[in-house]
Amino acid sequence: MRYLITLIKKECVEEIISSRGAAFYLVGCGVLSVFSLLLVSNTELSLLDNAQAVYMMSAIIIALALLITVIRGSDGFAGERERETLETLLITPVSPAGVAIAKLMALIFSWWVVFILSIPYLWAVGSTGQNLLPAFQYLWVAGTLLVVIFGGFTLALSARMKTLKGALSIGLTAFLLCGSPILLGPSLRQSTVGRIIDLINPFAEALNMLDSVVVDSLGVLFQIVPLAILVFYSIAAIWVLNKATRRVEL
Amino acid sequence: MKVLKIISLKKSFDGKKVLEDISMTVYRGDIYGFLGPNGSGKTTTLRILLGILCHDEGKVAVLNMDPSLDGERLRRRINVLPESHGFYGWMRAKDYLRFFGQLYGLQLAAADCRMHLDQVGLDPADRRPIRTFSRGMKQRLGIARSLLNNPELLFLDEPTNGLDPKGRREIHDLLLKLNREKEMTVVISTHILDDVERLCNRIAILHNSKIQYEGPLFAPVTGKSIRYRFHFADDKNIPSTWNVPGISCQEIKGQWATCEIKDIHPDKALRLLVQKGIPITEAIQVNSGLESIYLSYTASGKA
Repeated sequence: MRYLITLIKKECVEEIISSRGAAFYLVGCGVLSVFSLLLVSNTELSLLDNAQAVYMMSAIIIALALLITVIRGSDGFAGERERETLETLLITPVSPAGVAIAKLMALIFSWWVVFILSIPYLWAVGSTGQNLLPAFQYLWVAGTLLVVIFGGFTLALSARMKTLKGALSIGLTAFLLCGSPILLGPSLRQSTVGRIIDLINPFAEALNMLDSVVVDSLGVLFQIVPLAILVFYSIAAIWVLNKATRRVEL
Repeated sequence: MKVLKIISLKKSFDGKKVLEDISMTVYRGDIYGFLGPNGSGKTTTLRILLGILCHDEGKVAVLNMDPSLDGERLRRRINVLPESHGFYGWMRAKDYLRFFGQLYGLQLAAADCRMHLDQVGLDPADRRPIRTFSRGMKQRLGIARSLLNNPELLFLDEPTNGLDPKGRREIHDLLLKLNREKEMTVVISTHILDDVERLCNRIAILHNSKIQYEGPLFAPVTGKSIRYRFHFADDKNIPSTWNVPGISCQEIKGQWATCEIKDIHPDKALRLLVQKGIPITEAIQVNSGLESIYLSYTASGKA
């Protein structure tokens, strides 16, 4: 499995060096700048509680990271297939599952880059309030698990779909469906249906966890169940990815 | 010694038969031409041999391994130049070779990269990213990549695509040298019959999902004729009857005689003529016979 390190290195370098990779980070920084400015102004004008602003900024960072994950994940196999680089890779002594692991690791690396880039923005929004450190900690943990979940599923999809367009459209639809429950109002989310959707949706699970840590200042004991659910989804995503890449058709 | 053996290979896609009862054998040291029209199943066969595509029926053995079971182990000992090989455009040629070398467990030093690039006629000092390379340069880089692990068996899909005549000749010479010095077995899938004539000793013609012909390149075995033009120092010395089995004179014009050679190897035919004292000063192959063989086997059905 020595080749795995080579593949991971190549995928990570590609994330940074390639023009597509760098463009994502540049756009990401632009988006974070706009939102942080908006949230800081609202906090200064006392329109928004500081903890609430930190929570909202964390949610925006996670949403941005997941959007990048879904786009990059969909491109993982389907994009390489279209650019005709997949065949060159698969004729070497590497297994498709090895390539998938390398790509998933690169997606996690990409999230860590986004996380590092987001530190000054989150600091600017929440430096005057409390719970900033737990916000960073839980953002890192929840973000990493969510990237494994969304990255795993979209890479699996990408391995099975013939075209990037197909993989991307399904991936983005799934991402929007997962994101939609948070658009429900607080009363709707407290209903039975809202609770069920929140429970089975890893995205909502992560945001609820951040909410309880940052806004409600709840301790680690209260986070065990949502963390366990996220870990369960992560394992399921890796299992699906492994199944989907047993044999990759060109 | 057999390095590749296929027996009754069958493969269908969505019920459509792509390969039907394919059998072929490649021996160590062969340069084997794998010919066939577009869509005849050459690339599918190649992918099955590499273990990246499963076959439906039949037996496949490459270096005594089953590609569908031992794919990764097998691919350490063989290499391929696929027809459509994409490149990571942001890499430089040296980084590209180093990356693929590492996938084969090789740590290529700068000198190794230089040697590999030099051998295919690329400038080792070129630091441009691959996306700026011409098609011919990319083809050369692809060939360099396919030789990285010093493969026992090398599959080349249209290896001289995009190369100029000089480049083609250089690649021919390189392949012949590797075949001669390292006894590297080469399987070439191509439409360029000149490549096959210059390089291959055995061929297979695939058409309508079946192997139509497999055997030595030269026509004698296939029963087809090769046309030669012989030049004589003096038109008075051209014999009216040749009395050499397998050679029939078709036309005499001035100092030139056009003959057909059939059922005998052309080299042997020329030797016999010289031994009989027929004063030939020059022999020009008019057609190798391969084109006519190829066309005769692939004439029926769709292209």
